[in-house]
Amino acid sequence: MLSRKKFIRQAALSAGAIMAGPSMLEAAAYFSPLKLTILHTNDTHSRLEPFPMDGGRNQGLGGVAGRARLINQIRKEEEHVLLLDAGDIFQGTPYFNIYKGEPEIRAMSTLGYDACTIGNHDFDAGMENLATQLTRHANFPMLVCNYDFTGTPMEYKTQPYKIFKKGNLKIGVFGVGIEGKGLIPDNLFGATKYLDPVQKANEVAYELKKFKYCDMVICLSHLGNQYKGNDMVSDEVLAKQSENIDLIIGGHTHTFLNEPLVYKNKMGSDVVVNQVGFAGIILGRLDFEFSKFSGKKLAKSHSISVSQKSGG
Amino acid sequence: MHSRLFFPTALLLILIAGNSCNTTYQGQALQYKSYRIANTQQQDSALLTFLKPYSDSVNNSMNGVVGIAEMSLDKKQPESTLGNFMVDAFYTMAKEKYNTEVDVAFVNFGGIRLTQLPAGNVTRGKIFELMPFDNLLILQKVKGSVLQQLLDLTADRGGWPMAGLTMQIKDKKAVNVMIGGKPIDPDRVYTIANSDFIANGGDNADMLRPIPQITNGYLMRDAIFDYISKLKSQGKNITATIENRVTNAQ
Repeated sequence: MLSRKKFIRQAALSAGAIMAGPSMLEAAAYFSPLKLTILHTNDTHSRLEPFPMDGGRNQGLGGVAGRARLINQIRKEEEHVLLLDAGDIFQGTPYFNIYKGEPEIRAMSTLGYDACTIGNHDFDAGMENLATQLTRHANFPMLVCNYDFTGTPMEYKTQPYKIFKKGNLKIGVFGVGIEGKGLIPDNLFGATKYLDPVQKANEVAYELKKFKYCDMVICLSHLGNQYKGNDMVSDEVLAKQSENIDLIIGGHTHTFLNEPLVYKNKMGSDVVVNQVGFAGIILGRLDFEFSKFSGKKLAKSHSISVSQKSGG
Repeated sequence: MHSRLFFPTALLLILIAGNSCNTTYQGQALQYKSYRIANTQQQDSALLTFLKPYSDSVNNSMNGVVGIAEMSLDKKQPESTLGNFMVDAFYTMAKEKYNTEVDVAFVNFGGIRLTQLPAGNVTRGKIFELMPFDNLLILQKVKGSVLQQLLDLTADRGGWPMAGLTMQIKDKKAVNVMIGGKPIDPDRVYTIANSDFIANGGDNADMLRPIPQITNGYLMRDAIFDYISKLKSQGKNITATIENRVTNAQ
């Protein structure tokens, strides 16, 4: 048992820590410019090792060990980091044929992913398998707001969004999945109900901005970057028809963008869209700098200045 | 220390809490960067250790050489060497494994899962990467009019690998379709070699959904392995040419 004197001293210290510690930190964060670093991948497709040295054009590229090293380095340098993935974690190398996604999900947990969304190929070994891999090995959520998994093995295994607190920033992250029909075999998609991605995305983004007071809303999308000449919903379509999304981290089309795309949403504000190819060849990095506004002064629409990061 | 800090601390808390409803932070500036990940850079040792038991097992079963590619084969539209190699494998092996005549074989472009098969030794794992899905090679008997709808769909999607026919893509439709040297006959019934993925309506090939599938459970991936063995037994390596099977009409 603690002595009375020691107990009082400890109690006082903890009280002091509760009052002074976090609030001093908050005070410091409150007055300094806020920065958030977003690291992202998409369509990693079971590429755990780099492409083999076989003379192919991607030889030696990718691999989770190289990615981990870089991510750890960036985490040492930056206070606020989010690591996100836009789906199609599964399928593409024999790792998946043999282990059905276990090493992919375990690697992502070790790398410290904060969230991912679901890609069409994440259904490839069945919903029950995906549910099992996530339950056993994921320490991060799979986010999707437009798949209704009621009555399927994936019920309760995903969530529509997650809010991350980074210093004084509240960041809402949610996910949207692509239409299963014509892409995911019926026996794999099962009783999953596909809901309109634009409508659901707008609903969730509105909730995150207006009711959850998120400073930034990020959409993890497996819709695909853009489709020329047809009306399939893409990141471009979603961005233009959105109202409260600030950033779309995309996937599915394996698009290597040299720089993020910027679209105007319905309110005239900028929406940034990025995608980094496939197979973990590229790790994308987006450093956002935030300014503080009082609600009344906040402009109805706003634009963001985009530039290439030098060095680092 | 406690009493000295209490007042400003409380004030700050009130300030922060009081402002939380109408204070927002808005992203004003974005700096972007793409990092290329390569095996020449430093690797994280913990991840390497984690991966080792998996990679030992994978490499053990997958690093065996099954054939030699004489040239680098590429995935392109409307026609490509890698696509022709794959579709020839399905065309040849479907005839053999079902012991029947096959008029046409095709592969959905998205079903080619490598962008390139590099020249040189081809490992078992490489064929798994080319065809990772456990899709079945099946047969369907379709009327020429239905086949034309399918070919129009392939044209709309930029052209798929084809064996047994030639066609041109014009205004997103398949034109000048020749099967076995003759123009497509809308009333004739053709035997097509297909994947169960497409036959079940994959890539929106809904016109094939109602048509019965003839299947013996033969995997498309096994068809590629068997085709490579067959070529080897004939003293041939893996190779393919562009033969103007599918072209864009000028």
